[in-house]
Amino acid sequence: MKMIRAFIRPEKEQEVVQALEGAGFPSLTKMPVFGRGKQKGLQVGPVHYDELPKMLVMMVVKDGDVDRVVNLMMDKSRTGFVGDGKIFISPVEAAYTVRTGEAAL
Amino acid sequence: MKEITAIIRRDKLPETKKALEDLGFPSLSIQSVDGRGKQRGMVCNNDLDPDLPESFCTPAKLKPTPATYALVHALPTVALFVPKRMLTMVVPDDLVTKIVKSIISVNKTGKTGDGKIFVSPIENAIRVRTSETGGEAIA
Repeated sequence: MKMIRAFIRPEKEQEVVQALEGAGFPSLTKMPVFGRGKQKGLQVGPVHYDELPKMLVMMVVKDGDVDRVVNLMMDKSRTGFVGDGKIFISPVEAAYTVRTGEAAL
Repeated sequence: MKEITAIIRRDKLPETKKALEDLGFPSLSIQSVDGRGKQRGMVCNNDLDPDLPESFCTPAKLKPTPATYALVHALPTVALFVPKRMLTMVVPDDLVTKIVKSIISVNKTGKTGDGKIFVSPIENAIRVRTSETGGEAIA
């Protein structure tokens, strides 16, 4: 299993969630975060925004589904401008469902 | 070292903290998150969350035709996302099963929405105050 953490634009979140649901990946956790990338924030005229609001979408999927989920996320959250976000993938050794107590997704 | 990420019900947080404390492992980070599982969305009721904010409940969507007009008002509201608490803790390898078991035993209600627990590897940990690394940092 792999954990996918995607930092995406807040306004693109709904689109991404709907696309993932349509592809059969309805389970996810989301949280609002603030961050910046290598452009050190955003410069609009004289105003400098150091930390920009992003939505962190976190989901754990089977190894074989990673590419599909990542491609879907990239497709839907891309605008082509700076600030589209990042996606991180990390290993997960075990997942438990609390309701049943079983070690399964 | 392993990282345990547990996504649990909001009202079970104090009990979970107490249980972890009793195990001798009180250190954890808590975050408020919104989530959902493979059920996609659920009917708003007490089983889901005893005091779910109004803003999380939306009426079920139906095309407003004369035939469905009366039905729309009778349908229960659904929550597409449910507020949850996410606990993150980094623990030594040998404690993982014990902690997972205790989280499960405290949070198990048998109804949907109990949450998930993920265990993932952590390469290193550093205590900022003393710059200890590895096992000492989380001991």
